[in-house]
Amino acid sequence: MKEKDAPVDLVVEVLRRLDTAGVLQGMVLVGSWCVHFYKGYFDGAALSAIRTRDMDFLIPTPPKLKGEVHVAELLKDLGFITEFHGDGSVSLSHPELIIDFLVAERGRGAEKPYFVKSLGVKAQPLRFMSLLSDDTIKVRSGGLDLVLPHPINYAFQKLIISGRRAYEEKAVKDRLQAVEVPREVVSRGDGGKARAKFHKLPAGWRKAVLAGLKAAQADDLSVLLTSAAA
Amino acid sequence: MAIMNPVRGVLSEELENSERLLKRYRQAIAALPRGSLVPKMIKGGLFYYLAYREAGKVRFDYKGKLSAKEVSDYKLAASQKAKYRGLVADLKKQILFLKRALHERKRRSR
Repeated sequence: MKEKDAPVDLVVEVLRRLDTAGVLQGMVLVGSWCVHFYKGYFDGAALSAIRTRDMDFLIPTPPKLKGEVHVAELLKDLGFITEFHGDGSVSLSHPELIIDFLVAERGRGAEKPYFVKSLGVKAQPLRFMSLLSDDTIKVRSGGLDLVLPHPINYAFQKLIISGRRAYEEKAVKDRLQAVEVPREVVSRGDGGKARAKFHKLPAGWRKAVLAGLKAAQADDLSVLLTSAAA
Repeated sequence: MAIMNPVRGVLSEELENSERLLKRYRQAIAALPRGSLVPKMIKGGLFYYLAYREAGKVRFDYKGKLSAKEVSDYKLAASQKAKYRGLVADLKKQILFLKRALHERKRRSR
């Protein structure tokens, strides 16, 4: 008997409620839940199922949310509780899912939480998030249109942050997810697109991506990204 | 050199999350009004009592006449508390599972 996939059901319910409230289209789903929805984008490709229960929403700044909703109230009856962090940002937590709201940190010294009035939450600023919000795709899943980072940008961001992780186990997880997504893109003949995106990155970021690929022993991808366009 | 295992990293992170969440849910339950609302018809009037257990005895705190909103708030809190208790039970099972899984991996890697 197939066991019910409880976190997926809860994720779909959360997404459905955000969509009904009119705010889903103004948010980018980032983090390891992306991989779950990339599977649909890649027609059921076998991508890693390793993920934590964190579900991260990136809010592009300034927010372009059409609706307005107190998101903690919206999810309260599902059993979510609000957790306040030391910096003032909040998470909405449930035994199966922890929802975080993020914004791109624009330069050093901009690490104060960002109040998103339309959602009634303070979002946490993080570096390299602009990479995820600057180039997005739309994926249709369960009757909902989800905004996700372009898979290549997702991979680049994971590779960059993998080199900054304090815990090696987290870095290994980042690299594992970061390598399989672009391989799927390349297998579909979009290697040129990956290379073009790579060359648009700032030099420091390109270096960090290559370091991540080296640590992941993904020399095939390093060669592909650094080779001259065909 | 130890081989880094991303699954072990995820399990450790989730154990921390579950332990933290268990504490938060217990705090959330403690913040809700205790007991359940009991209506009693006395001389044609509807009066409410809050029933709860204390030191093994059932106690009734007189609340008097309550507005429909107050009654609904109590009922909402009771259903929220029941929901949270169910989630606390889920978290306890998660913690047990994660501890066993992490311990098992340590034992096998010896």
